[in-house]
Amino acid sequence: MAGELIASDAFIKGCAAIGAGLAVGLAGIGAGAGESGIGAAAVGAIAEDRGFLGLGLLFTVIPETIVIFGLVISFILMFAYG
Amino acid sequence: MLKPERMVKVSVVGSRDHFEKVSEILYDLNLIHIEDPEETEYFKLGEPFEKASGISRSLVQLRSILAYLKLDPEKYFPKRRFRVEEVVSEIDSKLEVYRTELGAKIERIRELQDRLKTLEEELRVIEPLKVLGIPPRLLKDYITIRPFVGFIRVDPSPRIREVTDKFEIFLKSYGKEYVVAVFVKIEHADDVFRILQEFGFREVAVPDIEDYDVRISEIQSEMTSIQEEIKRLESEIEEIKARESDLMLAIEEYLSMELEKSELPLRSLVSRYVFFVVGYIPERDFERFKDRVESETDGKVTVELIEEKGHHSPPTKLTNPSYVKDFEVLSTTYATPRYHEVDPTWIMSIFFPLFFGLMLGDIGYGALITAISLYLKRIFKTEGWQKLLNIGLYSGISSIFFGFLYGECFGPFVVGEGLKPSDVHWFGNALASLYAFNHGHPIFDRVESFGVKALLFITLTIGMFKLLWGFALGFRNVAVEHGLKEALLEKGCWFIGVLGLCFMILGFSYNLGIFNSPPPDGFGELLPDNLYVFGSYTVEDGRSVPLPIPGLVKGWQMGVNVFYLLALPLIIIWFILFAKAEIPKMGAMGIIMGVELLTWFGQILSFARLLAIGLASVYFAYVFNYLTLKMGFPPGMAILPVAIIILLLGHLMNLLLGILDPGLQSLRLHYVEFFTKFFEGGGILYKPFGRIKKFLE
Repeated sequence: MAGELIASDAFIKGCAAIGAGLAVGLAGIGAGAGESGIGAAAVGAIAEDRGFLGLGLLFTVIPETIVIFGLVISFILMFAYG
Repeated sequence: MLKPERMVKVSVVGSRDHFEKVSEILYDLNLIHIEDPEETEYFKLGEPFEKASGISRSLVQLRSILAYLKLDPEKYFPKRRFRVEEVVSEIDSKLEVYRTELGAKIERIRELQDRLKTLEEELRVIEPLKVLGIPPRLLKDYITIRPFVGFIRVDPSPRIREVTDKFEIFLKSYGKEYVVAVFVKIEHADDVFRILQEFGFREVAVPDIEDYDVRISEIQSEMTSIQEEIKRLESEIEEIKARESDLMLAIEEYLSMELEKSELPLRSLVSRYVFFVVGYIPERDFERFKDRVESETDGKVTVELIEEKGHHSPPTKLTNPSYVKDFEVLSTTYATPRYHEVDPTWIMSIFFPLFFGLMLGDIGYGALITAISLYLKRIFKTEGWQKLLNIGLYSGISSIFFGFLYGECFGPFVVGEGLKPSDVHWFGNALASLYAFNHGHPIFDRVESFGVKALLFITLTIGMFKLLWGFALGFRNVAVEHGLKEALLEKGCWFIGVLGLCFMILGFSYNLGIFNSPPPDGFGELLPDNLYVFGSYTVEDGRSVPLPIPGLVKGWQMGVNVFYLLALPLIIIWFILFAKAEIPKMGAMGIIMGVELLTWFGQILSFARLLAIGLASVYFAYVFNYLTLKMGFPPGMAILPVAIIILLLGHLMNLLLGILDPGLQSLRLHYVEFFTKFFEGGGILYKPFGRIKKFLE
């Protein structure tokens, strides 16, 4: 019974979907944690000097790469099993 | 375009009699980037010409007036420009007028404002005393009694009673506090004062007046008359400002020019009889420069080329055509290229709008961004804003183009199966009929699963391409400065490594079926089928093999594909070169640094954001369209106005995100993933001695 379930297509698809969701969601939390510190520092710097705005925004988005990794993983999962 | 302008170092030497003349000529030529000299035993830094002190005095006065009038030469655009002779003939009389008229008026306004402040202060003291209701003469000038008048937080009488019974207190609430007058015998004054202080007592000096109301009305009438006078003076100043600002700024410009000219000696070396200016000029202007200086001084001043050996760092003059020049705002924010480096601005000028469009890709949003940029260009006239808005313009146009490819105008009109265009878009049917030539399908449907897959592959390919390009440019930069061997070890080895990585990614993509899976209607096959050398790929139900491990599929050759075969030797060559470069520097442990190859892999993946950010904005738009259509036209109860408000707010938010995010991410893809491979920066920007006139003809 259990073996049958695990082997079934729907189960694999479901697991892949959960995995894809976790990949994006957890990566998002990680990126958010990373960005929070940078964002706070950037806002501080902008308060000192308005000219820092562009550079500050740029620094803030740097950890976003992590989400992209998660997203790529989720795409690959969806392509392979979705 | 690719390289900064070629520079030559020159010296201008002559007798000091001709120094002022030469300063005029050099300033007029606006060519020489002066190198600040160091003093030697015989040559010292010069002193400004005599006229400098007079000029700077006038300039300081004029600038303080300009600052008061809030006239910024950077931001102001003149309605008419003046000839130099015109300015010279008028300068003395005009400066005198500004000094006496404007200066005096400004001075008077400041005095009046000071007076106003004193009066307000007095009013602040009198008003609470009036609340207390005791005439001022009764609040002071006692011999045996000490009065305390001021503010206090709480009623202090119980505590005072502990010290003495002989006291009188008047307490009235005033705002959050009380205004209080306490009268005690002089021998208890110290004790009572201590108690009062415990309750936060602040003493007030009682003014020398007869009656509160009389004084208050006096103050108020004086204040109104002062305010009227200030208003009158300000309107007079405003009048002068409207009439004179062009001329004032022209005079400011003239004086600044004269000051810069007369301060040239500070940037050159002089001996008793000779002066000596050293600087860089563009190579192609050398003959013109030499001719002009020598002929106008009858050969008394000579211009010579200085040969430079070894390491030298001339200033960088970026030579970009006007389209590319707009992007200098973005590239020089990262760094100013050094003289020997490739100027990456032109690469950015191609890829920045391309990436922006690739991400946003929406006809509606693109058109809005274009329109907003065009509108703002008429308001913000400063150079920096104009450049930025031009970039916005190009990005908007690029978004329109990609929007046409993706078939999106304020959201997609085809989302999956089972939903009609009119279900997901307010004017879905119109869009569908626009694409009638392609069977009602967008040219490239990025919402559909094959589109996502293909776009993911395309973005990764762009990533690989840009990383390789970056390392190639880095190779060139290092080769020019330090020679081929160094370049091979520092950048060439990574180029080879990343190339190997790229082939691995391509091999993986092949296994995923990117090159040979049949696309739906509207897509062409990306690559011909026969790239695969060992026959067609036969894993059951199309599941991919993540790595080329023999035996994972039936028959060892099944898992091998040509991309992986190409990657292997490249990775080996990379590793050997890498070991050669790192081991002498870091010892055997240096090998560990090889994990950096994974960083480059991460950076290639990072280009997937080109897809991801676009998809996010597509789904935002889709959700808002779908939601509001369902809200607007349900059977039975239609709440169309609410639906329209939500629709507008949603699209506004999406537009703001759609400007901010693609802009930032596109910038970041350049700064982090591309520039770090070759662009070190730290150059000195070419700033010739002279200026481009703005207020003078």
